[in-house]
Amino acid sequence: MNETPEITTRLTRRGFVTIGGALFVSLSLPSGASAQPAGSQTSLDPSLLASWLEIHSDNSIVMRTGRTETGTGMSAFYAQMVAEELTVRPETVTLILGDTDKTPDGGYSAGFLYGAANVRKVAAYTYQALLKLASTQLGVPASGLSVDDGVFSGGGKSISYGQLVQGQHLDLKIPVTGTPAKVDPSQDSGIAGLEGYVVTGDPPLKPISQYKVIGTSFPVPGIPDKITGRMKWSCDVTLPGMLHARMVRPATLGSTLISVGAVDKKRFPTAEVVRKGNLVAVVSPNEWEAASAARSVAAGTKWTAWSGLPGSEGLTKAFRDHNWGPPTGSRGNAADVNAALASAPKKLSVTYEQPYVRHAPLAPFVAVADVRSDGTVTVWTHSAHSQGLRAQIANTLSVPVEKVVVRWLEQAGQYGRTTLGGDGAEGDAAILSKLTGKPVRVQWTLQEDLAWSTVSPGWVSDMKAGLDANGRLVAVHSAAYSPHQSDARLLGAILAGMPCSTSKPAADVATEWPYDKIQNRLEQAYGMQNVAAESAAGGLRGNIMRTPGQRQQNFALEALINEAAVAADADPIQFRLNHTTEQRLIDVLNATAQAAGWEPRVSPHPGARKNGSTPVTGRGVSIIARSNAYWVGIAEVSVVPDTGAVQVTKFTIGLECGKIINPRQLDRCMRAGLVMGLSEALKEEVTFDREKVTSTDWSRYKILTMAETPEIKVVAMSRDDKGFGTGGEAANAVGPPAVAAAFFDATGVHARRIPLTPAYVKTLLSS
Amino acid sequence: MPAELTLSVNGAQHTVAVAPDTPLLYVLRNELKLTGPRLGCGIAQCGACAVLVDGKEVRACVAPVSSAVGKRVTTIEGLPGVWAAEKGLGAGQTLHPVQQAWIDEQVPQCGYCQSGMMIAAVQLLARNPNPTVADIKDAFTNTPPSPHLCRCGTYSAIIDAVQRAAKAMAV
Repeated sequence: MNETPEITTRLTRRGFVTIGGALFVSLSLPSGASAQPAGSQTSLDPSLLASWLEIHSDNSIVMRTGRTETGTGMSAFYAQMVAEELTVRPETVTLILGDTDKTPDGGYSAGFLYGAANVRKVAAYTYQALLKLASTQLGVPASGLSVDDGVFSGGGKSISYGQLVQGQHLDLKIPVTGTPAKVDPSQDSGIAGLEGYVVTGDPPLKPISQYKVIGTSFPVPGIPDKITGRMKWSCDVTLPGMLHARMVRPATLGSTLISVGAVDKKRFPTAEVVRKGNLVAVVSPNEWEAASAARSVAAGTKWTAWSGLPGSEGLTKAFRDHNWGPPTGSRGNAADVNAALASAPKKLSVTYEQPYVRHAPLAPFVAVADVRSDGTVTVWTHSAHSQGLRAQIANTLSVPVEKVVVRWLEQAGQYGRTTLGGDGAEGDAAILSKLTGKPVRVQWTLQEDLAWSTVSPGWVSDMKAGLDANGRLVAVHSAAYSPHQSDARLLGAILAGMPCSTSKPAADVATEWPYDKIQNRLEQAYGMQNVAAESAAGGLRGNIMRTPGQRQQNFALEALINEAAVAADADPIQFRLNHTTEQRLIDVLNATAQAAGWEPRVSPHPGARKNGSTPVTGRGVSIIARSNAYWVGIAEVSVVPDTGAVQVTKFTIGLECGKIINPRQLDRCMRAGLVMGLSEALKEEVTFDREKVTSTDWSRYKILTMAETPEIKVVAMSRDDKGFGTGGEAANAVGPPAVAAAFFDATGVHARRIPLTPAYVKTLLSS
Repeated sequence: MPAELTLSVNGAQHTVAVAPDTPLLYVLRNELKLTGPRLGCGIAQCGACAVLVDGKEVRACVAPVSSAVGKRVTTIEGLPGVWAAEKGLGAGQTLHPVQQAWIDEQVPQCGYCQSGMMIAAVQLLARNPNPTVADIKDAFTNTPPSPHLCRCGTYSAIIDAVQRAAKAMAV
C-alpha cells in the first residue's frame, strides 16, 4: 500500500471516465457525480485522481478535500500547497471542502499538518504526470523542461496544463490507505476511520528552498465574502417547506419527561410539539413563532427531579474521592524516578487544577436536515468532521451510510468541539425531520449551547520534582487526572433513545517533553467516565478543546518548572536553557526573551507584595513543544491585591514552526490564539450546581474582551530545513502558565489553579 | 398576529407581514434575506447581530421590528451604499473603507462576529474619526448594551483595521 506507483501519463477519450481512473477534466463535477440524485451517492473514490483534482482548459484548478476551513486559514494554506507543487498561482486554485458527496478523503479538520499532506501529494503526483505528458507532446526530455505558472517550456516550445489535457482525461491512480468513517464501539471515540483516507507513497516534492508560494501572505479566500455579507453560512441554509425548530431541554442532566406543555394555538397557530423520548421540540414554518412557542411550551413541560452532580465547587473533591485505578497512559520509568526523588536534596510536591471550560463558540449550534421518504438523508452542517458525522447520522436513523449526504458550510469556530464528528444540532435536526417528514432547521440558543454542548473537562495534576545540590532537576513525576475527553455522541440521539455511538473514557500522556537534560521522568494520565455519566443525558459529556490534553498537562509541567526555578534561585529562562539541548527551542527562547526585553533575575520581583490597593507588576515565562514547533510566551501582568484584579499588560509570543506558510495569517493566528489562552487564564470556568450547568450566558461564562487584551508582540521564526510544524493551535497553551508565573513574580504567591478570577485571587492572597 | 410594516433597509423600502414583536434580526434574515447580521446570543450580550438604526448601533436580536419602522436600517450589505452616498460616488463602485480595512488587515478568523464588529467600527468612526487604541478598546468593550465579543480572539486585528479605516476615511 505504501509504494509509490508508477506514474502513468496515458491520455484517454472522455468515454473512459466512467469505467477507469481518470484525472483531468473540463467538467465541473467529477466523474459519475452529476447524473445521480443527492443522497444516493457514496463519497468519491479516493484512488481516482479525478475525485481530487481537475485542471480546466483555462489552467484553473479545482481541488477537493473532506477537510474544512476551521477559521484559521486552512483554505489559504491548502491552496498555497497545491499551487506550490503544481507551480501555479494560488489564485487559480478553487477548493471544494467538506461535502461528503463531492470530496474523496474525509478526515479531521484539525490543522494544516493533518489536512495538507493529502492535497500536497495529490498535486505532486499530478505534476509528475503532467511533466511526462508535456515531454511526450513537445518531444523534449523532461529534464529539458521548465515550468512557470502552469506552462511547460523547453526546446523553444511551450504548452500549458490546460492545453495538455484539453478534452481528454489523464489516467492516474492515487495510492491511498484508510477506511471509511463508521460507528465502531471498539474505538475510544466510538467512531473508526476518523483519520480518513491518507494518500501514500513518496512523489517527488518541491524542495522548500525553491518555494515561491508557501511563505507568502496569500489572502484567505473566503474573507471578502464574509465582509460583504455574500458568504453563505450554515445558519443561512433554507429549504422549501422547511420547519424551524427550537428544542425544549430537560430541567436537569438526569431528568426524564413527565408531560409536555401545550401549545397555545391562539398565540402560536402554526406551532407544533414534536417529541421522541426525552427529545422535545417545537416546530413552525416561522422561526420567531417556533422560538416564542418553545419558551411557552417549556414553561409548561414537566420533568422528573434529579441532582447527581457534585457542584462545581466540589469538583476537585469529587476527583479526589474517585477511585481512579491504574493510569490509562504512562511514560517513563517509575523505579528510576522514585529513586531519584528519594535521594534529591531538594524536593517539590505541588498540585495544579482547572475547572471545566468550554469551546463556547460565538454562535450556538445550528443544522438543517432533510430526511426523505425514499430513505435519503441530507444534512447541512459546520462540523469539522463531515464523514464522522455522516456515519453517526446513518447509525442513529438506522439507514445505510450511502443514503446520507453531509454538506458543509462555514460557521462560527468550534475549536475542536466537532472534530470527532459528534455533538451539535445535526442529530436533533435529522430526528425531527424524520418525525415530521419535512426539512427541519434546528437553532440552539446560547443558553442551551452553554448548558448542553460537550464540555472540556476539568482536571487535577499532582506534580513532584527533585533538584540536586546545583539546582538542576534530576527527576519529575506527573500524574494527571481528568474525566472523559472524547465523547462524540449526539445529544439528540441520547435524549431520543435512538441508536447512538458509544465511547470509552481514556486519558493519554499528551506532553511533548522539551527538557531532555532532566534524566528521570514519569508521566501518568488517569481517566474516568463523564461526571454524572449515569444520568439520563449522559452527564457532562467530555470533549477536550484546542491543544487537547497537552495544554492542560503542559500547564502543570511549566508551572512546576517555574516553581523549581524559584527553588533553585535561578532565572526562569536560564533555568529552562539549563535543562534542554534542543537548539530550536533555545533559539526561539532567546529571541523571544530579547524581544520582550527580559532581564535575568530570580522571581519574585523585589517589590512583590500580597496586599494593598495599588498595583504590583510581574513577569513570567512558559514554553510548549508541539508537533514540530516550539512556542514561548512571556507575560507581563499587573495585580491589585486588594481587589484581586489581574490585567495582562503585555505579552510576547514566540514561535519556530519550521517553514512558515503564510506569515500574515500566522501572525493573526498567534495573536488570536493567545487571546483565547489569556481568557482561559483569567476568566473561564463552567459552573454547575447539583442539577445542571449554571454558566449559561456571557455574563456567567465570561471570556476575554477587547479592553482586557494586552499589547501583543510576535516573534515568528521560519526555517527551511525542518519541514512544517503547527503554526496556530498551541498559541492558547503558552498563555496560562506564563500568566501564573507572572502573578507569582508580582505577589510572591503561587497560583496553582486557573482562572485567576478576582474572587480566587483575593482568597489566595489573603490566606 | 402579523401586521404589515414598512421598513427602510439599506436605502430600499420593504413591506413585510410579521408579528410586530418579531426581533428585527429575524425579519432581516428570513424575510429580506439579508444574512450579514447573525444570531449570536439572542440576548444582546455579544454583538454579532448589530445593525445601524438611524446611524446608531442596535442589537437586532432583541429590538422588535416595530421599533425600526420609520427609521433607516443599515446592515453590512448596505455599508458600500452609505459610503457612496457620503462621498457622492456611484452605487456599487467601492466597499466602505471599514470593509476594505477588514479585508486588507485580514481580520476574520471564523468571521462570525465580524459583521457586528464592522457596524461598531462605523459608529465609532462617525463620532471619533481618529481613535487611539485606548479609544477603540473602550468603544468595543464599554458601549452598552455589552462588549462586542470575538471567541477567536481577533481583537488586535480589529484595532489595526479600525485605525487603517480611519486613515482611509480621512483622505
